[in-house]
Amino acid sequence: MGLLETRNLVKSFGGVMAINDITLDLEEGDILGVIGPNGSGKSTFINLLTGIYRPDQGAIRFGGHDITGLPAHQVTRRGIARTFQNLRVFSNVSVLVNILIGQHTQIQNRLYHLFLTPLAARKREKAAEKKALGLLKMANLADRRDELAKSLPYGEQRLLEICRALASNPRLLMLDEPCAGMNPNEMDTLADFIRELRAKGHTILIIEHNMPFIMSLADRIVVLDAGRKFKDGPPEQIQNDPEVQDIYLGKEDDI
Amino acid sequence: MPEGTVHEAEVHAVLSARSKPRSNGTIKKKVVGLSAALVIALVLPQVVTNTYWLGLLNFLIIYSILCLSLNLILGFTGLLSLGHAAFYGIGAYTTAILMTRYHVGFLPAMLASAMLALVFSLFLGIPASKVRGDYFTLLTIAFGEIFRLIAQAWIGFTGGAMGIVGIPIPKVFGMPIRTETQFYYLGLILLAITFVCLTIIVQSRIGRALIAIREDELAAKSMGINTPWYIIMAFTIGSFFAAVAGSFLAVYQTTVTPSNFRLEESCLMIIMVIVGGMGNLWAPLAGVLIMTLATEMFRSLAEYRMLIIGGIMMLVLLFRPQGIFGSSAFKD
Ligand SMILES: Nc1ncnc2c1ncn2[C@@H]1O[C@H](COP(=O)(O)OP(=O)(O)OP(=O)(O)O)[C@@H](O)[C@H]1O
Ligand SMILES: [Mg+2]
Repeated sequence: MGLLETRNLVKSFGGVMAINDITLDLEEGDILGVIGPNGSGKSTFINLLTGIYRPDQGAIRFGGHDITGLPAHQVTRRGIARTFQNLRVFSNVSVLVNILIGQHTQIQNRLYHLFLTPLAARKREKAAEKKALGLLKMANLADRRDELAKSLPYGEQRLLEICRALASNPRLLMLDEPCAGMNPNEMDTLADFIRELRAKGHTILIIEHNMPFIMSLADRIVVLDAGRKFKDGPPEQIQNDPEVQDIYLGKEDDI
Repeated sequence: MPEGTVHEAEVHAVLSARSKPRSNGTIKKKVVGLSAALVIALVLPQVVTNTYWLGLLNFLIIYSILCLSLNLILGFTGLLSLGHAAFYGIGAYTTAILMTRYHVGFLPAMLASAMLALVFSLFLGIPASKVRGDYFTLLTIAFGEIFRLIAQAWIGFTGGAMGIVGIPIPKVFGMPIRTETQFYYLGLILLAITFVCLTIIVQSRIGRALIAIREDELAAKSMGINTPWYIIMAFTIGSFFAAVAGSFLAVYQTTVTPSNFRLEESCLMIIMVIVGGMGNLWAPLAGVLIMTLATEMFRSLAEYRMLIIGGIMMLVLLFRPQGIFGSSAFKD
């Protein structure tokens, strides 16, 4: 049984079938690459899995539970975290606070704790801060803890967004085009970071257009085309598949 | 599993190498600043003995409580509420009615007032948390107007345009509060309680959830934050303290009238918060001070009051859009 299972997922916007009958299993510890031309439904797929959109049909099971149609915040509590295609860090707060917000589901303090058991509440906050610093250290962002997120260079903001997602202690991490807008140096840093996560046993789904990047990281690649699952296989096989090259080339001809 | 991502030793190194001295420094600065403010606040009535100035100080306290609580809604959560004066009014009228007609003591009446405001804000907050932006603001305006109309029209209950007069002298633990100075200290205690409660909330996971909603609601949801719940929470807590301010106003003025709680009052509070600065809990206090002093200074030009207020706000927005001490601009 996989960590994540989708069964015949369908999502349409007006007349556009953004996701059309996608069935997919993801095993714990795997890195899955999702590729496909622009508009093929990759982001929509993540948005369905994280409860941002509700599927029109089909089911999503995660960790053995049905999570179809759960609102986004409950999906996160179940252990799915994500980043966004167009960077969405909390710009006007510090790097550290970004991570602390990411730990929302991990800190147990409720309103009454703050006033009835203030010492225990404070202790939980301190512990969270320590954990947050550990995460920032791992991404080499610890020295910038007090800087506003918006003041970081773009590549570091992307890393921060990944750390913020990791802060919820997820069982599954989903990255939507993490390389977008990065320079080659930043991409190398990111690739190393993802390898480190893999070594620690994280399960990761990565959407990416940059082929060398995704082929070197993923254990398995799924190709989407016009909302359908077009191919599913190991990176070497996908890379050499003439049909995959065709859909990309075909799209470029249109442009 | 990600549990293993945090290495205690590494974290310790980071903590002791860099952050400890820095955060200790800022904490020291904060403690010094707070103690200084407290000492000044405590001795002020010994220096300022003129009843006119003492009266002004008491209104400063009332607006401080109002703007601190509005800042939770507006500055932290990013919700433009134009209904704050209505909750202020619910607090004032509840206290006035309970004390004059039912002879309830001041403290129980204040508590009842704040609880009633909490209930009303919950009723308004539930639909308001589902609509965003302009619709939220429109709902709060409608609520404020309905409140004012009821206060004006339901003469048997609220006294109509004349309001409620002859609110008895409040007693706090048996001690009657009569003089301007006594009211000042009572108000100061209420302000301190408000400040401490809001500080505790703002510096916790709850405060950060509110900030996340202000910054990016969709991202906030993806962090596991139940956004409607936290919007309601900010709104009800803010309204609770607005009612505390109203309750104090009732016993201090000994009268309440609908004109105390017009839309204009809500606007003034928003302007004070914007001028002082949002996002920092205490920053709106600067706005309260500046706007109150400015309007007092130009008292002889009463008909130009709104012009002066508007002018100051324009200057601040042009030269310091985040407010004098604010940490976040109103809209980025
Ligand atoms: N909220 C929405 N409303 C209407 N149509 C949408 C919405 N979201 C996605 N779509 C449509 O669904 C299709 C798939 O979009 P999606 O963003 O998932 O593609 P993608 O594979 O992520 O593309 P890209 O590589 O450009 O990010 C597109 O035709 C898009 O226009
Ligand atoms: Mg996309």
